[in-house]
Amino acid sequence: MSTTSTLNAASSADRGPPAWTRWLDLGDRALAVVLLAPAAILLALIIVYPVLRLGYTSFFSLSLTSGLPAEFVGLENYSLMLEDPVFWETTWNTVLITLITVPGALLVGLALALLANLPFGVQWPVRLSLLIPWALPLSFAGLIFAWFFHSEYGVVNDVLNRLGFEGIIWFNSPNWAFAAICLTIIWKTSSFMALIILAGLQTIPRSLYEAADVDGAGRVRQFFEITLPLLKPSIVVALIFRTITALQTFDIPYMMTGGGPGTSTATLAMYIHQNTVSFLDLGYGSALAVVMFALSMCVTAVYLRAIRTKE
Amino acid sequence: MASVSLRKLEKSYGSLRIVKGVDLEIADGEFVVFVGPSGCGKSTTLRMVAGLESISGGEIRIGEKVVNRLPPRERDIAMVFQDYALYPHKTVRENMGFSLKVHGVPAREADVRINEAAEMLGISHLLERRPGQLSGGQRQRVAMGRAIVRRPKVFLFDEPLSNLDAKLRGQVRTEIKRLHQQIGTTIIYVTHDQVEAMTLADRIVILKGGDIEQVGTPDEVYNRPQSVFVGGFVGSPAMNFAKAKVEAGCLAFADGNKLRLEAVRAGRETGVEGRDVVVGIRPEHFGTAADPAAVLVARVQVVEPLGSDTLVHFAVGGDVLTARMPPEMRPEPGSEFRIGVDPTKIHLFDAASERVIN
Repeated sequence: MSTTSTLNAASSADRGPPAWTRWLDLGDRALAVVLLAPAAILLALIIVYPVLRLGYTSFFSLSLTSGLPAEFVGLENYSLMLEDPVFWETTWNTVLITLITVPGALLVGLALALLANLPFGVQWPVRLSLLIPWALPLSFAGLIFAWFFHSEYGVVNDVLNRLGFEGIIWFNSPNWAFAAICLTIIWKTSSFMALIILAGLQTIPRSLYEAADVDGAGRVRQFFEITLPLLKPSIVVALIFRTITALQTFDIPYMMTGGGPGTSTATLAMYIHQNTVSFLDLGYGSALAVVMFALSMCVTAVYLRAIRTKE
Repeated sequence: MASVSLRKLEKSYGSLRIVKGVDLEIADGEFVVFVGPSGCGKSTTLRMVAGLESISGGEIRIGEKVVNRLPPRERDIAMVFQDYALYPHKTVRENMGFSLKVHGVPAREADVRINEAAEMLGISHLLERRPGQLSGGQRQRVAMGRAIVRRPKVFLFDEPLSNLDAKLRGQVRTEIKRLHQQIGTTIIYVTHDQVEAMTLADRIVILKGGDIEQVGTPDEVYNRPQSVFVGGFVGSPAMNFAKAKVEAGCLAFADGNKLRLEAVRAGRETGVEGRDVVVGIRPEHFGTAADPAAVLVARVQVVEPLGSDTLVHFAVGGDVLTARMPPEMRPEPGSEFRIGVDPTKIHLFDAASERVIN
């Protein structure tokens, strides 16, 4: 008896795991689908659906203040946009902020990263001072710098006065206000650039610099022949992230100038906010948002293509 | 080409002394290998010669010139790194030509030199590739090529074979030796592998704990080790050591085995009577029991047939010894075994200082 039961046990063990786990035994393809599904569903819910819904809404006249029901208007919102001077001004401001602050943050970030990569005895204060501007909420940064640039109590004018220059009424002039905003954005975002570039710097083996030392290259040559080429991938990644967030600039000008004087420092994101949240004109706001989305997609496509051709 | 001389060379990090006053004269064209266990200061010494580490004391000369404070680029040296340190974004040609470009060598001459070196190393077909597309052995050759095109006074090799598999290591080792015979430049080579040291070196420098333990030709360090450390480090399988006492002209082991000292010392007798000694015998110096004055009786523990010969492990006086025996010898484990010793090949070390007794 005991022999038979042992045999039975053995043969059932040979048949593999119990039947209720059999459904786990999927092919590679099915397993891939199952494993990817949660993330795909989540992305679909929080990104794909809203984007599609946004595009859909942009074809309607839908203003909550009018009390009228939504009405399909085709491309009317888009044609309105083309004739809207504020759309053009805010778009131009957005592009200008991107063109100024992205290279600005890259240069400052690169310098900061090189500085932070020096062999300091104690590393954490350096790393911390890099992290703090990045960790600070954008609106706080905007508030802080609004006070820095305050015409009467601001530290910037105080320094200018002490150096013998006249103080500037920053937020009364479109150009000075714009400059103050750009400086603030560069300060706020260069630490993010620096963090990504610093990570890239630390992957460059020290022996490459030693080999270059032996080969006879000086510091400047080492920077251009070794550091910069090997940093390219990190720099491209930093640029992609930074450019997309630059196109969406909102918090800092919103807190510093509210878009003024006039609409001279307003960005596209602020204009979208104004149309949807303040004026409750969801149709027109959606059309504006679609344009911003398209702009971001174009920039990303350009960067990705640049990386691919390089490879 | 140039000689290299190290005088009282020291390196400390704070109170930690890594290199403790190394004195060494390396002749022009000589192939010198620094060998020792990790932490012995061999790489640090090499890096001080290269100028990649500052020196804490002493003097380094390359040729007639004191180079203590000179940066690497002014020392006229070339170095092959353990991880090869090839520039990943440059092609093989650009890697090899980088130093020439930096030194303003005209492009045409640079090309000639690169092609010449590439041919010598058999990598001409790889010149337009990037390091990422090369195998480990090919990268190693490119690293050597980069050093060769420089035509430096001294080549420095820092464990260049340690990232290669065993077969390739043997192959590249031969190539390095051939290369040295061909170009005749002074080479300082660092390794932890005693086989590399023995096969490559004109002279071996054995380092331990930041001090030179022994300097000599491969034959000298093999045949006349000056300490237990050198005896145990050079040779494979390693030299056997057994504790013994000199009593009445005999080496007496704890288990009663005795070897007649006069046979051992071959007449080079000095006052060792009554001293505790360490007896060193290489596995290959055991044999069949021909001379009754030089026979050990021991119990066999493990037998390892290797094909070309058989390794027999046996116990003498509480120490386990290994003998390399002819392949047909297959003593039974556990059996008693009479094993002969070549008495002229026995080394005696002082038990306390572990230095050789002469």
